[in-house]
Amino acid sequence: MFDWTILVANQHLLWWGLVTTLKYTVVTSLIGLLIGLLVALAQLSRFRAPRYLGRVFVEFFRNIPLLVWLLWSYYALPIFTGIDISKELAGVVALSLYVGAYYAEILRAGIQSIDLGQTDASLALGMSDFQAMRRIILPQALRRMVPPLSGQTIIQMKNTTLLSVITIPDLLYQASYISSFTYRPMEVYTAVAAFFLAILVPLTYLARRLEAKGAQG
Amino acid sequence: MNAGNASETPLIEIAGLRKSYGPVDVLQGIDLTVRRGEVVALVGSSGSGKTTLLRCVNLLETPSSGRIVVEGQPFFEIADGEDKARLSRKAIGAMRSRIGMVFQHFNLFPHMSVLANVMEGPRTVLGEADAPNRARAMDLLAKVGLADYADRFPDRLSGGQKQRVSIARALNMRPMMMLFDEPTSALDPELVGEVLKTMIGLAREGMTMLVVTHELGFALEVADRVVFLDCGAIAADGPPTEVLIYPPTERIRAFVNRFHETAAFMKPLMR
Repeated sequence: MFDWTILVANQHLLWWGLVTTLKYTVVTSLIGLLIGLLVALAQLSRFRAPRYLGRVFVEFFRNIPLLVWLLWSYYALPIFTGIDISKELAGVVALSLYVGAYYAEILRAGIQSIDLGQTDASLALGMSDFQAMRRIILPQALRRMVPPLSGQTIIQMKNTTLLSVITIPDLLYQASYISSFTYRPMEVYTAVAAFFLAILVPLTYLARRLEAKGAQG
Repeated sequence: MNAGNASETPLIEIAGLRKSYGPVDVLQGIDLTVRRGEVVALVGSSGSGKTTLLRCVNLLETPSSGRIVVEGQPFFEIADGEDKARLSRKAIGAMRSRIGMVFQHFNLFPHMSVLANVMEGPRTVLGEADAPNRARAMDLLAKVGLADYADRFPDRLSGGQKQRVSIARALNMRPMMMLFDEPTSALDPELVGEVLKTMIGLAREGMTMLVVTHELGFALEVADRVVFLDCGAIAADGPPTEVLIYPPTERIRAFVNRFHETAAFMKPLMR
């Protein structure tokens, strides 16, 4: 009843889909991290305006379904901006901003978890706010934030499957493409699930070990 | 330790310093002068504003009003809610870099070795090259008796050792004065002596020190002046014997009664 040979026959499509999925995961996570850091710093600013803007940013993305946001970015954003945006760019922008909001919350909480005495000691030496952040606060906060950041990145990899609805050829899109001409959805989607589990289960364990390490020091 | 030279310009002059948190007046008009080489002990019960006053000197807290003059140069002034000095953040940083501070809870940087902690100020704030910085840091660690601990991390040190590292960290900026915020209050009793001894050594070298402390023995034996704070105001300011042995008010007398126990403890350290 199963015909696994169709997977072997179309494996180049699946591998290409996997590469696309990984590429989008890595690129949007890195851009998202940068966005998250900027938004977190805005939220921790001593001025009211950036604090407020940061809050709005985070609440916007945490309360909009990713699929809705992704479709909006693809269909509506080009109309609003008047710029012709490729689907790849729309996908990267949408996913980066979305994960950026979650990263921002993790970074903000991590920075705020550092004892205020560390800031006191840095400023008393004559450091600027920026120097204190870069040399003293962030290095300590990052260590604590590794577990939640890796957790969010795992979610981000799963979220890239939504890119298939705007026809970006990720793993899921390739699978539906293969099943459209082989009529073998069972085998193909089983393979997709297996790919994700094979990558994410080890990563989850790695994150958990980092968490145990982070809790120690 | 050094008799204040009256003809010299005071190192720090504080005038009319007030600090309120909402409706609570923590400091209500402090006038305080610290001369070069002077050791001034700030004593008083908890909540009297000692720590707030200390933190106002290097502007870790921004006073609500008042004036701070450093070496005869107006540094900070707020009057009638108006910032007369209009300090840039750069100017505040530059001033802080010349004033060392030691905290009750040490606040060492836990992600850096002992040596890196001591080198951090000159490296980041002054942009000093590593070689002279490291040499001076090692000398300072030797001076506080911790040369063998340079490569350890703070979590491997006792409280007394941590506090001595934090003194070395502050000294490595070659400060013109040192602020101590209850430097021995978080220590186990048997570790208090090693930190006080380090501070005594510093006082003998002529370092200007403003010390918030509950160690009245230290105040009596080491300080040139004792300033007694009560409810955010200065209740007494004078030589240690005047304030601590013949307390001018009943309030101070009650506070000082605790002192006789610690005086005995200080004697062997002074030798």
